Amino acid sequence: MNARILAFLLGTVGMLIVSGIAAPNVRAAPAPTLSIVSPSPNEVIGNGGPVVVVFAVTNFNLTDPGSGTSSPDSGHVNVFADDEWTSKASVNTIILALPSGEHTIRLQLVMDNGSALNPDVNASVGVTVTQGPAGGTPGLSISYPREGALVGTDSTISFRVTNFVLVPPGGPGGVPNEGHVRVLLDRAYYADLGDVAPLHLNLKDGPHNVTLQLVDDAGGPLNPDVRVTLHITVQALVGRAIPFDATPFLALANLLIGLGILAAIYRKLEAR
Amino acid sequence: MVRASMRPACKRSADGRAALLGPCVLLGIFLFAVTSPSAAAAGPALSILAPANDQVVGNGTPVIVSFAVANFVLVQPGRVGQVGSPTEGHVDLYVDGVYSWPLTRVEPVSLPLESGPHTIRLQLVHDNGTPLNPDVFASVRFIATHGPAVGTPTITIVSPKPGPTISHDLYFAVEVTNFTLVDPHGQPNAPNEGHVELFLNGVLHQEPRAYDLGFIVDMPDGNNTVIARLVNNDNAPLNPDVSASVTVRILGAADPTASEQVTAGVTLILAVILLVLLLRRRKAARQFAPPNERSSDRP
Repeated sequence: MNARILAFLLGTVGMLIVSGIAAPNVRAAPAPTLSIVSPSPNEVIGNGGPVVVVFAVTNFNLTDPGSGTSSPDSGHVNVFADDEWTSKASVNTIILALPSGEHTIRLQLVMDNGSALNPDVNASVGVTVTQGPAGGTPGLSISYPREGALVGTDSTISFRVTNFVLVPPGGPGGVPNEGHVRVLLDRAYYADLGDVAPLHLNLKDGPHNVTLQLVDDAGGPLNPDVRVTLHITVQALVGRAIPFDATPFLALANLLIGLGILAAIYRKLEAR
Repeated sequence: MVRASMRPACKRSADGRAALLGPCVLLGIFLFAVTSPSAAAAGPALSILAPANDQVVGNGTPVIVSFAVANFVLVQPGRVGQVGSPTEGHVDLYVDGVYSWPLTRVEPVSLPLESGPHTIRLQLVHDNGTPLNPDVFASVRFIATHGPAVGTPTITIVSPKPGPTISHDLYFAVEVTNFTLVDPHGQPNAPNEGHVELFLNGVLHQEPRAYDLGFIVDMPDGNNTVIARLVNNDNAPLNPDVSASVTVRILGAADPTASEQVTAGVTLILAVILLVLLLRRRKAARQFAPPNERSSDRP
């Protein structure tokens, strides 16, 4: 056996070893993996969504459901939102419309016939959807009337919110940049406002203070608290021109004169 | 004869030149192909077909991004046994600089975006996510708005009509065209989108909810001018200003003169009657008085 043949044999054996013939366990195809690229964990999805879920797979061929035979290295993704099946996906992007609040999105690799892989391959992520912006600090201001204003019995208060979307009360708490305006009149609860329509007040004469406070869907104050207080004085008929009216006095005089006439007639009859 | 002898010679010469010209042309094409980089094997290319740069995407519709890819095959990343190739991969989509999602099919993408300016960037990447070398990308700027993409906004006060009124509480109805009203909450400005501000006698009074009536209460007596102005999401007026105004005359309390006159007239009549009664009573008292009473005052 010359050196060339020996080298050929050694090379062949080496290739066989590298190819895994000597180690059957290594020959198994790498297991599929699944990971969620975005959204990131606990990400806030602003402006009411939708939630765009991007995932990555390895060692797995994504195929349209029902397009081939079932095998453990091909299939599609089952999508679950809050443990409820939502849809199937055969591309790396899923678009989900979710209501405001916290949600858990879970993806699961399945074979073409819908059965899960063995072992199960899944990934999940938690997100929060809000109708408001994803970032920014909420703000609240009163645009009318001005502080210390003298207003009539009927009045309106106009306000502005920034980085915050007003929605009707009753949703889940803790949703960022979303909620309603709580109105405190003279430090007592007065109303909840679910939109930016001006607040209509009908108040008794005298000084009053009106406090507007941003609260979350469940009525809890924001952290930090966002509120603004307005002091106003109510005076009935402010801005009205009221002319002097002598009619009531004249009417009283008529009444007295009438009584006098009656008395005079009575005395006359009595005299006869 | 001479001509006859020369013709074959000339013909041979022309054939030879033609035979020489052919290889020369081929050689030239070959050399041109080898030396010219643009004629070398064309590299991957990416272009955005829609939207156009600086386009206004109106009516709050999702932005449809269409693109084309050349000399590059889009494949699903992470396939079984995938071997990276310089001419295959996928497209990464970025919205306003933020990675959004991978595209593995040359299909239009629908992007629901909030109002305001946006930038879309597409980039070809290998299966493992690394960009090509040289980088191949395309980007486009556009503006999304809930309003119409074109047109000049207008506003008209539909109600109340100018003139006198007895009510101190008035609803104000406006009609806008080429403009979409949205409730402001700090969102970016966008063309032909915003809200209405109502000014009472030059003072900002209220911002009605989108497509709701304005309601101004307890207006003072006399002439009141209300201006309805279209403003952007940040409350800044449009440029040029778009506003309308109406002047209403709030009639004060009713003039009491007439009722005063009537009541005073009745008072006068009653007083005269009473006076007459009193005088006649006195006269009667004198006539029917007893003689001793009559002469009692005599000396």
